[in-house]
Amino acid sequence: MSINHLYPCGLTRRELVWEMGGGFAGVALAALLGGDGFAPRGARASEKSSQPQSPLTPKKTHFPMKAKSVVFLMMNGAPSQVDTFDYKPELEKYAGQPLPEGKKFINSGGRKIGFLTPSFRKFRPGGQSGLLISDFFTCVREHADKLAVINSCHTDSHAHGSALVAMNTGKTFIGRPSLGSWAVYGMGTENQSLPGYVVILDKRGGPISGQPNWSSGFMSAAYQGTLFRPTGDPILDLRGPAHLDRGAQRRQLDLLAQLNQEHLDARPDGQELAARINSYELAFRMQAEAPEAVDLSRETQTTLDLYGVGNQPTDEFGRNCLVARRLIERGVRFVQLYSGGGHLEDTWDAHKSIETNHGQHAAEVDQPIAALLTDLEQRGLLDETLVVWGGEFGRMPFSEGKGEPGRNHNPYGFSMWLAGGNVKGGMKYGATDELGFEAVENKAHLHDIHATILHLLGLDHEMLTYFHQGRDESLTDVGGRVIREIVG
Amino acid sequence: MSEKYWMARCLPFDVCSAPGSLLAVLVVMVAFSRAEADEKKSPDFERQVAPIIIKRCLECHGQRQSEGGLVLASHERALAGGDSGPVIVPGNPAESLLIARLEAAEMPPPKKGESQQLDAAEIATLRAWIATGAKWPAGRTLDLFERTTEVRGGRDWWSLQPIKRPPLPSIQAGATAAGPIDAFIHEKLSSADMKMAPPADRRTVVRRLYFDLAGMPPTATELERSIGDESPDAYEKLVDRLLASPRFGERYARHWLDLVRFAETSGYERDQEKPQAWRYRDWVIKSLNEDKPYDQFVVEQLAGDEAPWRSEESVIATGFLRLGTWNDEPNDPQEYKYERLEDLVHATSSAFLGLTVKCARCHDHKFDPIWQTDYYRMAAAFWSGPIEPRERELLGGPKKEELGYDVLGWTDLSRDPPPLHLLKKGDPRHPEDAVAPASLSLVPALERDFSPPPEQAKTSQRRLQLAQWIVDPRNPLTPRVIVNRLWLHHFGQGLVRSPNDFGYSGDKPTHPQLLDWLAAELTSGHGAMQGKESERAAAKVAAPVSFLFSRTHAADLASSWGLKRIHRLLLNSATYRQSSLHPRQSEYAQRDAANRHWWHAERRRLDAESLRDAMLAVSGDLDLRMGGASFRPTLSAEALEGLSRKSAAWQPSPRREQVRRSVYMYSQRSLLTPLMTTFDFADTTLPCGQRDVTTVAPQALALLNNAFVHERSTALARATGLGPAGKRGQQIERLWLHVFGRAPSQREKEAALAHLDEQERHFAAQPQSPEVTFPDSLPVTESLALHLRADAGVAANDDGRMIKWSDQSLSSHDASQDDHSARPQMVNAAINGQPVVRFDGQKRFLHLSGQIITSQQFTILAVVSDAGGESHRGIFSNWNGAAGNSVTSVFLGLTGKNGVRLTDDYAAAGPSWPRHRHILIAAVADERDAAVYFNGAEVGRKGAAIARRNLTTGYVIGQQGNIDGEYWSGDLAELIVYDRALNAEELASVQRYLVGRYKLIEPPPRLTPTELALASLCHVLLNTNEFIYVD
Repeated sequence: MSINHLYPCGLTRRELVWEMGGGFAGVALAALLGGDGFAPRGARASEKSSQPQSPLTPKKTHFPMKAKSVVFLMMNGAPSQVDTFDYKPELEKYAGQPLPEGKKFINSGGRKIGFLTPSFRKFRPGGQSGLLISDFFTCVREHADKLAVINSCHTDSHAHGSALVAMNTGKTFIGRPSLGSWAVYGMGTENQSLPGYVVILDKRGGPISGQPNWSSGFMSAAYQGTLFRPTGDPILDLRGPAHLDRGAQRRQLDLLAQLNQEHLDARPDGQELAARINSYELAFRMQAEAPEAVDLSRETQTTLDLYGVGNQPTDEFGRNCLVARRLIERGVRFVQLYSGGGHLEDTWDAHKSIETNHGQHAAEVDQPIAALLTDLEQRGLLDETLVVWGGEFGRMPFSEGKGEPGRNHNPYGFSMWLAGGNVKGGMKYGATDELGFEAVENKAHLHDIHATILHLLGLDHEMLTYFHQGRDESLTDVGGRVIREIVG
Repeated sequence: MSEKYWMARCLPFDVCSAPGSLLAVLVVMVAFSRAEADEKKSPDFERQVAPIIIKRCLECHGQRQSEGGLVLASHERALAGGDSGPVIVPGNPAESLLIARLEAAEMPPPKKGESQQLDAAEIATLRAWIATGAKWPAGRTLDLFERTTEVRGGRDWWSLQPIKRPPLPSIQAGATAAGPIDAFIHEKLSSADMKMAPPADRRTVVRRLYFDLAGMPPTATELERSIGDESPDAYEKLVDRLLASPRFGERYARHWLDLVRFAETSGYERDQEKPQAWRYRDWVIKSLNEDKPYDQFVVEQLAGDEAPWRSEESVIATGFLRLGTWNDEPNDPQEYKYERLEDLVHATSSAFLGLTVKCARCHDHKFDPIWQTDYYRMAAAFWSGPIEPRERELLGGPKKEELGYDVLGWTDLSRDPPPLHLLKKGDPRHPEDAVAPASLSLVPALERDFSPPPEQAKTSQRRLQLAQWIVDPRNPLTPRVIVNRLWLHHFGQGLVRSPNDFGYSGDKPTHPQLLDWLAAELTSGHGAMQGKESERAAAKVAAPVSFLFSRTHAADLASSWGLKRIHRLLLNSATYRQSSLHPRQSEYAQRDAANRHWWHAERRRLDAESLRDAMLAVSGDLDLRMGGASFRPTLSAEALEGLSRKSAAWQPSPRREQVRRSVYMYSQRSLLTPLMTTFDFADTTLPCGQRDVTTVAPQALALLNNAFVHERSTALARATGLGPAGKRGQQIERLWLHVFGRAPSQREKEAALAHLDEQERHFAAQPQSPEVTFPDSLPVTESLALHLRADAGVAANDDGRMIKWSDQSLSSHDASQDDHSARPQMVNAAINGQPVVRFDGQKRFLHLSGQIITSQQFTILAVVSDAGGESHRGIFSNWNGAAGNSVTSVFLGLTGKNGVRLTDDYAAAGPSWPRHRHILIAAVADERDAAVYFNGAEVGRKGAAIARRNLTTGYVIGQQGNIDGEYWSGDLAELIVYDRALNAEELASVQRYLVGRYKLIEPPPRLTPTELALASLCHVLLNTNEFIYVD
């Protein structure tokens, strides 16, 4: 049996074959192919005849996908649920009182524990469904009928560093592959000239813990997230020194191809050499295609205005949302946009003041997010694009001291929403207690969120495994339940 | 936290897809169909019944687990039944609940919706067994791990059997005769009617050896010398020379660093530096270069603090236990310590034993004979270390007083820690029985409890005993695992292809006997060892090792556990020296694509470090200084964007540091160098026994466009020499020899010539890019509030003491000092021929007239050199405690070795900078942010606006306001203040003005079209497969 698991540091058999080069087929494959934990048991036989392929070649999913791609809007720093998507009228009633004694929690950062505080902005119904959404998100509210709001989210850490990593990788410790990595591992990607998994950060900085948030962990590096800048050259090493213009570089590549061909001619077994020769042609194309993906000059003024590009405070996130749509159109599988970067007030981490902090950040993202939903719908892309909104945890229903306008971290209950990708719109799922403190009804652990996202992508979170050091690893480990109630 | 959070998902192996198992099933079915035919005939318990119970029932109904109260491991308990009453009614299968549950497919329970039902023949056997009285040999107890089954390895698993030195196979006449290794390889090849590939040519073998042992190519001279050596032992001499080279330790240390998840920071939010982690790296390099016996190498890493020969060096080795990630803000610190235990158990068992012991944290191992208690027995070895939550500053390690040395190391905090409890499903909230510290149980002959420490011991000595158990010469795993690693690094694949998993889920050795022969060679120390080296080794190791281990014979002592001997055996084999191409390549590839017969050498892509080092080597830039603190390469601003704390941003090292070998590159968990990760640098969170080798387009982008590669191309062009056009042919020949160690073919030469020609014409026709200009006067004067330059407006005494320094802006904020004893000194021609004002730290300073800054947004630039110091040193300030302007003042000053402070509200760590080196410091405070730059490079950014300042109190130069203290010792050449925040473009132009004026940075030389063309050719060569792959 052991021939089945012969790969270094997480390489799967299929990648191994691919790395040995294209055109490597026939009998040799039989020794190497035979299932890599991706395919469900019993479905492996059909793959044995497949040609070796790039790790990113589109793959058949476990069952038909409802969404082809994902835009994950990561509200870094953790928005407050009771001020945004989780309406808690009881907080008005109990305002000024302490949280009831029975409610246990870790006081993150040892901050002052104040008193129950109602929402800082009014909630109003949106759309036909009348979903209640606060005035922090007036534009998104107009899309209420597209949203499946999950009010009962909970996670495993109260600290930003580990909670961000958990929201991205399923575990609070670094070193695991992130959600986007699992998606491209399971599905491949449709445009080989662009990365399959793109992350766009907030200009103010990266998320706490950095790279491990978009790492491929023990998987092949081919599945890791690629940082994308929304202007100019979006990825690293896309351009050499100025004098090596396209003509000069083409001559370099032609000479390189000639030298490599002579080298290959003397090594007729050199499939990996041939693969590398091909990779240079692909790189040459990427140099042109990647900047085109972020070039907004072809977008109409109407579109730019829709996203708030060119206006403040929406310019940056609007641009990012628009770039996300362009990437999705071009076949990128998974795009994650960060709102908030660095620390504290530069993120949604509203310890000082919900009104000031969320006032700033919501104003930056509300119009762009609504525009993304509108634009995707108008282009007929919304059904095949899953939009996910949420932070790494939520915030407490109580203040950080008498009369203080900020709220501390809360991993026990918070809200996220999904839209598009055949998600049912205009609905709420699960609930927190009457104070918005902890999830009590239809609790949705972050593993459940992940399982649901994978499910919408046509992937079974239990079957999508990666064999690593003696174990079939998966995103949701032994947890995870698909929230079928929100799946259309 | 979800209920099942702690329980690992260890799926039972997919039996049906396992090759070979089908045959086993058929055999069993044949056996059972006979049983079915005759229920009256009792099945053989040992051969037929026990295997089914062990394989299918004991995982849940064994002696340690008893789901439903049922235990099927012994006769008595099996008959006693479980919570639902008896399950076996001897003589009456129809009444036996066991059979009913099996037939209903309720047992074994379905997994993930898939039925686990026994096949009909198995059920029939059990039915027949019960029908005939359920006979059970007296006293026989079944054990889940007693034997290997189709679903799991038992204690009879191959890797757990004692190492027996096999006899050498006889070598057939006519085979490519060589050493003992080849005998094993030949034997299997000939049984498959295959032959080795012919020996690779000398040039190929020499290059292979250099990349393998040194991690870099031979120079053309070295290559010529090695090829030209006609002596019969030329090859062996080269092997010896390379093994003796310090480069060897650097190269093989990197393999070890992958295995121990080496990095120099903690990861997570603050990603704190692990101070002196580099000393562990240096310890590995030194140990490998000195050929430290492997057992000692292991013991020092696990228990260098407890070893009788304890020293600072051996304590540095325990850094092994400190290298993992460390979260200073875990969700629950009490639970987090169990995560840390898992890291320690995993690192230890992966690196030294090739086992996945961590899988047994939550339950008995699904595939290997490792009980859940085994996990906790091993974990107990680390339990008395600094595992409890303590002060954040300790980064999860001991205090230096506890450790005895100020290094990154590990030690126990008590000799007698509280008991460690087994955790149900690994969950800290569900402790069960306490587990006594002990070895693993999978080799019964070696199983032992750990003794309490002797009276005088300060530590528990559990780690020492764990280490002793690991390096016990009878431990079958340790030597097999390490010789396999050496084989892997030399041959590209291991004899066991899963180097960190010698268990059931791993690979079986391609040549079990060869593996054992090598393992026996390692531990026994048989075989030839050269006299001198043997004496040296004996002198070095005798003291510690003789104390610890039962080595009685001097000869054993001298040579056992020496790794270089094994390296030599492998390298001197004909197997190693094969060509990567076989005359019957395609035919053999069909038969054995995975090269499990070792019928050819594996062509290998350079790993990230070798590729980078090779580029540095051929360009002549490589700096071979060994050891010491790591260097940080220059990273593009884009690559730094992922950092959450830009104020603690990446500080590149001086350029001369950046051309050191890659093993000395700083490894920061939140920001690994993109060039390295693109080429499959190892994951730094888990032990990595073998790196991925991918071929992806971003690698091509990196080699085509990364500035590092272009710098190498340019340097290589220079090193090749830029001859006149008529000598180009020779130039190309030199270049080929330099890069590839061979002459170019005629076609290559012609293509290269054409390339030079075309590129030169192309570059000559390009419009000249505008030269970077250095303005010769201050380019921005709007809102200029102060401009002092030491070459203008200076009034000084005869002794050079400055009386007055006139402001060159229109604001007339002159600087002066009335008190002669407080006047700073003018020094001429101190920097690039320009004068400076020298403050010597002896209470010298200058008063400025008027209020310099009136706006909350401002810009300050100063060209200074700093004489250093640990305290605060004010350069420019309006601090005034008496006037109530202390924490609200504005100032720019230095602090500590390399810190820079811009008001009390913001301090940035600058790059480490030699004292007295001239630098341009620039600081900008705008409405959203504050940033500090050194010589034009951002060194820190606050990420938020500086809190409101009181700007009205008096300003001074050279001390912290009117404090009569915090005097600065250093030179000031020019000071410029704007009463607003300059934008990026303005700031750049003012900085260029100052950089140009004081020649602070060497401008990059402009290359001619001819030089650019040659650099283009060099660049192509660095991208070729011939450069990137080793045959």
